[in-house]
Amino acid sequence: MENILEIVNLNKSYNGIPALSNINLSVKAGEIHGIVGANGSGKTTLMNILFGNPIIHETGGYQGQISFRGNRVNFKNCAEAIRQGIGMVHQEFALIPDMTVGENIKLGRENTHSLTDRLFGRKYSFIDRKQDYENAGQTLRRLGISVGVGIKIMNLSVNIRQFIEIAREIDRSDLKLLILDEPTAVLNKNDGLKLIEILKDMSNHKIGIIFISHRLEEVQYVCDKVSVLRDGKLVSQYAKGNIYVNNLAQDMIGHTINKAAAEKREMENKPVITFKDFSVKMPGEEVKNLNLSVYKGEILGLTSLSGHGKLALGYGMMDMYPVGGEVYYENKKLVKMNARTNILKGMYVLPDDRQGLGILADQSLESNIIFTGNQIKNMFIRDSAFNFLGFIDHHKTNFHVHKMMLDLDIKCTSIKQKVKELSGGNQQKVCIARALTVDPKLLFVAEPTRGIDISAKEKILNMLIEINRSRNTTIIIASSELDELKRVCDRIAVMVEGKIFKILSPEIL
Amino acid sequence: MKNYRLKPPQIIISAFLILLIGLSYILHMDLVVLLNESMVKLVMNGVLVLSLIPMLNVGAGMNFGLPVGIIGGLIGMCLAVNYRMTGFYGFFMAILFTLMICTLLGWIYGLILNRVKGREEIAGIFIGFSFIPLMNYFWTLAPFQNREMLYPIGGQGLRPKISLENYFNHILDNYGLISIGNIEIPVGLIAVFAIICLFLYLYFRTKIGRATIAVGENEAFAKLSGINISQTRLIAIIISTIIAGFGICIYAQSYGFIQLYDEPLSMAFPAVSAILIGGSTGKKTFIFEAILGTYLLQSMYLLSVPIANEILVPELTEILRTFITYGIILYALLVRERRGIYS
Repeated sequence: MENILEIVNLNKSYNGIPALSNINLSVKAGEIHGIVGANGSGKTTLMNILFGNPIIHETGGYQGQISFRGNRVNFKNCAEAIRQGIGMVHQEFALIPDMTVGENIKLGRENTHSLTDRLFGRKYSFIDRKQDYENAGQTLRRLGISVGVGIKIMNLSVNIRQFIEIAREIDRSDLKLLILDEPTAVLNKNDGLKLIEILKDMSNHKIGIIFISHRLEEVQYVCDKVSVLRDGKLVSQYAKGNIYVNNLAQDMIGHTINKAAAEKREMENKPVITFKDFSVKMPGEEVKNLNLSVYKGEILGLTSLSGHGKLALGYGMMDMYPVGGEVYYENKKLVKMNARTNILKGMYVLPDDRQGLGILADQSLESNIIFTGNQIKNMFIRDSAFNFLGFIDHHKTNFHVHKMMLDLDIKCTSIKQKVKELSGGNQQKVCIARALTVDPKLLFVAEPTRGIDISAKEKILNMLIEINRSRNTTIIIASSELDELKRVCDRIAVMVEGKIFKILSPEIL
Repeated sequence: MKNYRLKPPQIIISAFLILLIGLSYILHMDLVVLLNESMVKLVMNGVLVLSLIPMLNVGAGMNFGLPVGIIGGLIGMCLAVNYRMTGFYGFFMAILFTLMICTLLGWIYGLILNRVKGREEIAGIFIGFSFIPLMNYFWTLAPFQNREMLYPIGGQGLRPKISLENYFNHILDNYGLISIGNIEIPVGLIAVFAIICLFLYLYFRTKIGRATIAVGENEAFAKLSGINISQTRLIAIIISTIIAGFGICIYAQSYGFIQLYDEPLSMAFPAVSAILIGGSTGKKTFIFEAILGTYLLQSMYLLSVPIANEILVPELTEILRTFITYGIILYALLVRERRGIYS
């Protein structure tokens, strides 16, 4: 097999700060090449260079040589990369929400009516939608996805969207190299496996694949070769047969990690919250007639395939989506869902969508951590005649935020640093710090470790256990990472189609 | 201000301004007089520009519905003039009437804008457009009594331009005027401007002010954190409307006339231009940006008139002004649309 991609001595820096240094890498046709690394190790920068993201040239280009299929290339924009036969599946979805599945898949490669082709030229020709939909349908069937091609993207759940994005790339006949940036991050185990089968099939068709993932088990399972990046340097490479999760993990973070695990214990059956025929109308993630009691002081795991409603429970309690049915909290019926009153009663939701719901990206660490406590519980307010205006007491705030920073080990330059400049793991810690400031009695956590590198993952899980043990906070963790739930939870509830299917103890699973 | 970067509109306007200053020097114009006037112009227009900030920061976009607040201020002043309130007393009462009327108007305006979330700017334009004809009826039919306000012939309906000569003309401009050589600093006027800036500064440091910024930055975050979105937006819109009302009162006392009928329509665009020149991107905006933008834009207007009179046809200045005002808005819309997934 020949190398279709060869990278020699690649260097790239942003404003003098090196992001990549001396990367040497090659990918053969039909090879699945894994790239792993902790957050901030330079994976995304490498992908941006390969796919010709304009941001690279705007920030001064790169040094080094990249050859693609024998020719030296230097892509200035994505269109050039696409013309050469490179495809990319983005971590953030690059789909158009207002267009249908079929339109998105065939975007830029539409079938056109031959008559209008001749009359107006291909560029202004009428689109043959029927043919488009048929092709798109075929591609989707190849992926084993059953979704109508006429549905708009915005009505679909994230995991389906991920497959649509992959379908768009696979549908291309000229595809030579496919780059996947964390394709399985939003997928559950089953869907992840399905995707891996698709990748193997593609590699049999001599398509080179660059596969970036945080899930090392998958990397071990699927990749022919793995390169490990750390702090912008290539630390090690392993070929199939020599790929072991432990080695990868150790190379990624530079030291070994201790996995979080909670001690097993007996719980009293004193419910803190009881759901009766509870429904939440969250699009793509609906809860339907759920019956569940959560005991005081326990950690309850909530798991399901995506789209079966595990995420919606917390959001429903915060009035983000319309709810139905009855909820009893501390033996009192909740008449109306209202985020403010529920937070005051001691509930809190740590959202799964950190960027969208969890942080104020443009504001400082400090403002983020005190926000909810300040707004809802009137904490950190300076004592003066103008109490009602609620000016901040900077002394109290400073003290509290510094304490949180030390307790949770948040890495930042100062408490005034903007949250968007922090890594994913540290952003999640900021979210947790904000929750702890409110000191909730019942904490809903959704996908706490999504998009976080392995060492930070274990710290976050340990933190949740610690909160539960020291403050006696009841925690409900909705997650698709069964392995994590097994280590942390007292009970695990499995949901199917918005209902509780079974409640199991973690040992049985 | 950390991370402050000059943006293309500022560079263009500043370059143009320097060119104009150079020209006026060559043409032997009195630069001191122009400097004096530029300070008055800053405050005259600056309050209207400041009024955009609360709405920008709550995420309701540029307040193209500025005429709503302006009309509130006009009614306030007309009431004061109608009851023949003069001097400081008159101006103070005009402000007080404005406060009451603008609170009501702002509340209604806010309720409407809360229903068109995400399309506030275009809705604002049309609220302005439809409100003005309605008010034209009001100006002609309202039972004002003071002969100095009414049409001289017929004695019914308000004049398009009501002189403030006998009421509170230049009341702030001339208060505490300090002269250093030829330079005159209108301390009273600048003090009022500073008070409004200080008010805004403090507002964004109160609890509700911090909620306002959070709603503007990330509405879903604020909702999940238990913030009442509609109420926060409503308060910001009311404050914007009230400051706009104050703005027109300050504008009128400098200008010497209350301008009614279609006049308020054309006032939103220079204000929006000014804040864009200051560096606002249609999201979170700092007070400093409003002041900088107003000063640059108004000084440029101020300088261009005498220069064009001297070396070009006089009409050209008006064309240039209009071109720059609308061009800047267009530019801002162009760059705003470019914020794609990679930025």
